[in-house]
Amino acid sequence: TKEFGYILKESGAVFTFGKSKFAENIPTKFWFKNDKPLYISCGDEHTAIVTGNGKLYMFGSNNWGQLGLGTKNTINKPTCVKALKPEKVKLAACGRNHTLVYTEQGHVYAAGGNSEGQLGLGDTEERSTFRLISFFTNQYKIKQLAAGSYTSAALTEDGQLFVWGDNSEGQIGLAGEASVCVPCQVDVGKPVSWISCGYYHSALVTRDGELYTFGEPENGKLGLLPEQLKNNRVPQPVPGILERVNKVACGGGHTVALTETDVYTFGLGQYGQLGHGTFIFETSVPKAVEYLKKHKICNIACGENHTAVIADNGLMFTFGDGRHGKLGLGEENFTNQFIPTLCSNFLRFTVYLVACGGCHMLVFATPRPNGSEEILKN
Amino acid sequence: ALDSDAQTTDSDEIVVGTHLGSPPKASAEGIRIEIVSLRLHPAAEVLASEHVQQLYVEFHFPGVPLAETETPLSLRKPQSGEEIYFHFSKVILLDPEAVSTQRKRLFSMLQAEVAGQNWLQFVVGREPLPGTRGECEDVGFAYLDLREILLSGSDVLEQELEAVVSPQDHSAIGRLTVSVEAAAALRDIYWEGR
Ligand SMILES: [Mg+2]
Ligand SMILES: [Mg+2]
Repeated sequence: TKEFGYILKESGAVFTFGKSKFAENIPTKFWFKNDKPLYISCGDEHTAIVTGNGKLYMFGSNNWGQLGLGTKNTINKPTCVKALKPEKVKLAACGRNHTLVYTEQGHVYAAGGNSEGQLGLGDTEERSTFRLISFFTNQYKIKQLAAGSYTSAALTEDGQLFVWGDNSEGQIGLAGEASVCVPCQVDVGKPVSWISCGYYHSALVTRDGELYTFGEPENGKLGLLPEQLKNNRVPQPVPGILERVNKVACGGGHTVALTETDVYTFGLGQYGQLGHGTFIFETSVPKAVEYLKKHKICNIACGENHTAVIADNGLMFTFGDGRHGKLGLGEENFTNQFIPTLCSNFLRFTVYLVACGGCHMLVFATPRPNGSEEILKN
Repeated sequence: ALDSDAQTTDSDEIVVGTHLGSPPKASAEGIRIEIVSLRLHPAAEVLASEHVQQLYVEFHFPGVPLAETETPLSLRKPQSGEEIYFHFSKVILLDPEAVSTQRKRLFSMLQAEVAGQNWLQFVVGREPLPGTRGECEDVGFAYLDLREILLSGSDVLEQELEAVVSPQDHSAIGRLTVSVEAAAALRDIYWEGR
C-alpha cells in the first residue's frame, strides 16, 4: 500500500487488478501521456478504454478477434486501435468475447466472436477488425452500448432500445426468437434510460425509474415474483424497489440496481457478490445493501462474480469473489468479501471509473489534493 | 521526471508505472494454500445441529500463527447439498534460513515414515452466533499429505478432501476443497535437509 500512489501525477492513472492479462496479472498502474480515460469496459478476459481524445485502447484475450486489432493474439498492454483513428470513439462495450464501439461520427462497430450474431452484421462469422453495423448510421444517436455473453444492446438518446445476438434464454427480451443477427427493437411502452447485459440475463431502466429484467430465470437474478418467471423471455418490471432506479448492472448470476439513496442487489451471492453478509447466498427479492446505506453511491459495476461501487466522495467499495486479487484489496492474501469493503488502496485517491470483468477489475483514479483525505476519515 | 521508474510502451502514448507490489507467487520461497469451499454430508450431525450455525476453516502450518491461517470470516453453515465458498488464499513466505525451525519442521514432516506425520491439517470450526453463548469449537478435520506433493512433484489444485469428525473418529462429515501450491518449495526443503 505504501507504494500505491507513489509519484503519481495529478492526472491520475488506470489501475489493474486480477487476471487483466496486463503486466503478468500483477496489479499495475498506467497512464496516458497526453490523454485521459473517459470510459472503461471489461469483457470476460478483455478490456476497452475510451479516452478524452476519442481513442480506443484494447488489451486482453483475443481468441475471437475481440480486440479488433486484426489478429487473434493475446495483447498484454493497452494498444490503440489505429483503424478507428480517423473517427472519435465515444463509447465501447465488451461482451464475453466481442466488442462494440460507437463514434462521434455516428457509427456503431463490432468485432470478435459472432456465434450467435452478437456482432449485428447479419451473419455469424467472427471478425478480428471492427466492422460497421450500418443499421444505426445516420438514423440514431447512441447514448449507451451494452454487451453480455453473446448479446449486444444499443440505447438511443431518445430512449429506444435495440438488441441483437443470443436469445436462447430470452436474454435480449425478444420472446420467441432463438437469436437475431441484426439489431431489433425491444419496446416496453416507454422510453428506456439505461441497459445492462449480464452473462445470461439483462436489465433495463425506464426514464420514469422502473427496473425491468429478462433472460435466464435461475437463482433469483431477475428479482421477479414466481408467477412472473414463466414470462422471463420478455422484460418485466421488478417489484419491491419503491424508489426510482437510476442504473442497473448485471453480473454472471446477480443484479445490482442503484436508486437515489440505495444499492439493491439480488440473485446469486455464493461468493459475497450481493453484499448482504455471510448468511445470504441467494435472494430473488431485491434487498438494499445495509452497509452502503450511509454512503451516497453514484456508480455501480458487476463482474461475473464480483461487484464494485463508487461513492460520490470518490471512495470505492468492492465485494464478492476475491480470487486473483480482483477486488483490489490485497496483494498476497485474497478472500471473498461478503459485505462492501472499502478499497483502502484508494483512500488518497478520487475514483472516477470502475469496470469489472470475469476475473479482473480496472479503476481510474486521481490523487486527492494533499490533506483532503482527513475529511474522509469520519 | 516524476516517474523515473516508469517504462514507456512501444506505442509511446502509454506510461506503465511500477507494479503495486508484486504479489509473491508459490515458488521455492513460498507456498500458497487456499481454502476454497466446504460441503457437508446429508447425514452429518453438524448439518442438523442447531448448535452449529456458522463455520470457518483454518489450517496448521509450521511457524505461522493460527490467526493468519484461518478464514477471516465464518460463513453460514451449508445446507444439505450446498457448497459455501471462502476462497481464502494465503501465501506463506518461508523463512529463508536453511536452519530455521520452520524448514526443519517441514523437513521432518516430509521425511516422516509414520502415517499421519506428513499431513497438513485443516480444521473446520464452529463459531457461535454473535450474542450467543459458547466458544469456538472444532467440528471437522481434513488432511493433505505433503509428502505426496513432494513425491509427485505436482501442486494440488482444487482437491476435495474428506472431512471427518475428529482425528480419532473418522466418520465423514463433508468435503473440504483446497489448493496447495507447494511442490517447488517442498523439493527445495527436502534436498536442502538431506
Ligand atoms: Mg445510500
Ligand atoms: Mg481452533
